[in-house]
Amino acid sequence: MRTMVAKAVVLLAVALTFTTGRAVAQQPERDSIPTDVRVGILYQPSFRPGIVMPPISTGDELQDLADSARAIILRDLDYGDRFQVMRVGEDVPLEGPVNYGLWDQLGAVWLLVAAVEGSPASPILRLSLHDVVFKLLQDVQAFELPPVGHPDSRLALHRAADQVVAWATGSTGIAATKIAYVAEGTGGSEIYVVDSDGYGARRLSSDNTIALSPAWAPSGDRVAYMSYKGGDPAIYELSLNPGHSSLLVDLPGLDLTPAYSPDGRTLAFGSTVDGRTEIFTYDLTRRCCAERTTFARYSNSLSPTFAPDGKRIAFNSDRLGQLHIFVKDVPDGSPELVTPYIYDRSVHNAGPDWSPMGDRIAFHGWVQGTPQIFTVAPNGRGLRQLTQVGRNEDPSWAPDGRHVVFASSRDGSDGLWILDVVSGRIRRLVRGSDVRLPAWSGSLDSPSHFADESADSDVNNPQGAR
Amino acid sequence: MASMWKKNVGWLGTVAIAVVIVGCGGAPEVVPEPEPEPQVVDTRDEEAERAAREAEEARRLAAEEARRREAERNRVVSIINERVFFDFDRSDIRSDMESVLQRKVSVLREYPGITLRIEGNCDERGSNEYNLALGQRRAEAVRRYLLSYGLEAGRFTTISYGEERPLVRASNEDAWAQNRRDDFAIADYGRLDSGD
Repeated sequence: MRTMVAKAVVLLAVALTFTTGRAVAQQPERDSIPTDVRVGILYQPSFRPGIVMPPISTGDELQDLADSARAIILRDLDYGDRFQVMRVGEDVPLEGPVNYGLWDQLGAVWLLVAAVEGSPASPILRLSLHDVVFKLLQDVQAFELPPVGHPDSRLALHRAADQVVAWATGSTGIAATKIAYVAEGTGGSEIYVVDSDGYGARRLSSDNTIALSPAWAPSGDRVAYMSYKGGDPAIYELSLNPGHSSLLVDLPGLDLTPAYSPDGRTLAFGSTVDGRTEIFTYDLTRRCCAERTTFARYSNSLSPTFAPDGKRIAFNSDRLGQLHIFVKDVPDGSPELVTPYIYDRSVHNAGPDWSPMGDRIAFHGWVQGTPQIFTVAPNGRGLRQLTQVGRNEDPSWAPDGRHVVFASSRDGSDGLWILDVVSGRIRRLVRGSDVRLPAWSGSLDSPSHFADESADSDVNNPQGAR
Repeated sequence: MASMWKKNVGWLGTVAIAVVIVGCGGAPEVVPEPEPEPQVVDTRDEEAERAAREAEEARRLAAEEARRREAERNRVVSIINERVFFDFDRSDIRSDMESVLQRKVSVLREYPGITLRIEGNCDERGSNEYNLALGQRRAEAVRRYLLSYGLEAGRFTTISYGEERPLVRASNEDAWAQNRRDDFAIADYGRLDSGD
């Protein structure tokens, strides 16, 4: 019996055929690190509990939906890097009560059983997560899905996958998220958006000029960015559905690098003062009152990013003659240096992004003239280099505070890449040498709106049924 | 052959004489004296010629003036368009760029109607966002230089294109050096266009 099952079940670590990322054991290159800075670089070999999700059988017109639901959820679980996704052979007995002993023998820690019910007009996905080790039903939920072929179908499935992550680990999943970024456009550059699994990339802005620095509103339905479309560069806001752009704030001179506060009430951004750049805040609820929050004569301050409590910002400044990351209270408070000052060197640390978990700030810094991704605690401790290969720039945290997306050349494999900072696993999100300045959204969970989704939305869908 | 030709001519001559005699025999036709008009015609031609010469001269002068103006315009525009280059991650005016700026100061004094947009640019090495700020400072550095020579502030606007508008699309020292620059766009040509 045991040998038969062993033959019947194929367990493969990261065996899904569509998995693009591979575990990369990054070797430390000690000689590339300034000798007077202590930099941690090794990834911990972390245990990922095995999860198995048997095929869903409906035997009716919902079978296609069931198959794609399983494929999407399994890939999400793989990309989330919290589970080791295990593949099941076709002859595993799935009928009858859950055989915990069998799954335990196979090395699974979690068993995800799914069923698809209802009708194509209002399908329901029922997920039950079993704890194989303790032999109990961890949680169960019925997810109402949009009609088959609806543009929000994938997002609804991503949300279900994130729920599984929350049941098993108590952590935030990253499947129901999007990444905004900059890519080449007809007049320079435009803002684009893509799902967390690399699906459904589309252009959001149509400015035919230079558009840069997208930043997500916490609500996840809008992106602020800077554009030259009015001649004088200013901060605009794009709504996702439909992609409509409106002016947010335009001070004299160059306005750049917008960032929303976590409560969505304040926008921080850089703007020109006496020919240099300083950081301002702008009251989004009253639509007024730009106030300056940095005061450094003769130097630039820009690229603000809020701490999760909204009381502090990290930002980029060249006030010490080198480019560094600072942290300060808003609106008042004096800046404190976060990145190490290295005497007599060309230091270039830029693009800070404060983790939604609050404990780390990601940025890129030069290692022998080539930008690499680092993280550091907001008090300046625990500097850690995350990348080695090629140019790596402009990191942005996922809502789980564990994954970062960044622009990378990876020695020829240009694009946006996603790194799990815990395990070091890395995968490419978007291909292209022209893609840059990624910004990861928060969790997108507004499930109530799929009924009034406009029919002319240009979101792609997997079935092509529309 | 020659004798035959002479014979023919002789014969033709005889016929011609006969015709003349017959003609004299009829009413003699009065052949009118030709009008003595050449004098007047001559005067008019001369005047037209002079007018034409003068017009030609005027055209020549105008063309010369246009050429001169065109050359002057080209001189001014090329001085204005001369790029100002910067060192890596710096926005201060390099000493070897002062002569470029001095030429600009003198033509801008000469043509007070000219207004400019000063465009700061960077090489690709710094961060995309920091380069926007750096480009702004480069534009501002040149604006300040020009203002320090008493030129009117209202004649200059600044913009930064960061690393978004490279002159040379390549990743080497030469390309970077070319790309760390201020460009100059003439917004108003002043009397270079009004023609006085």
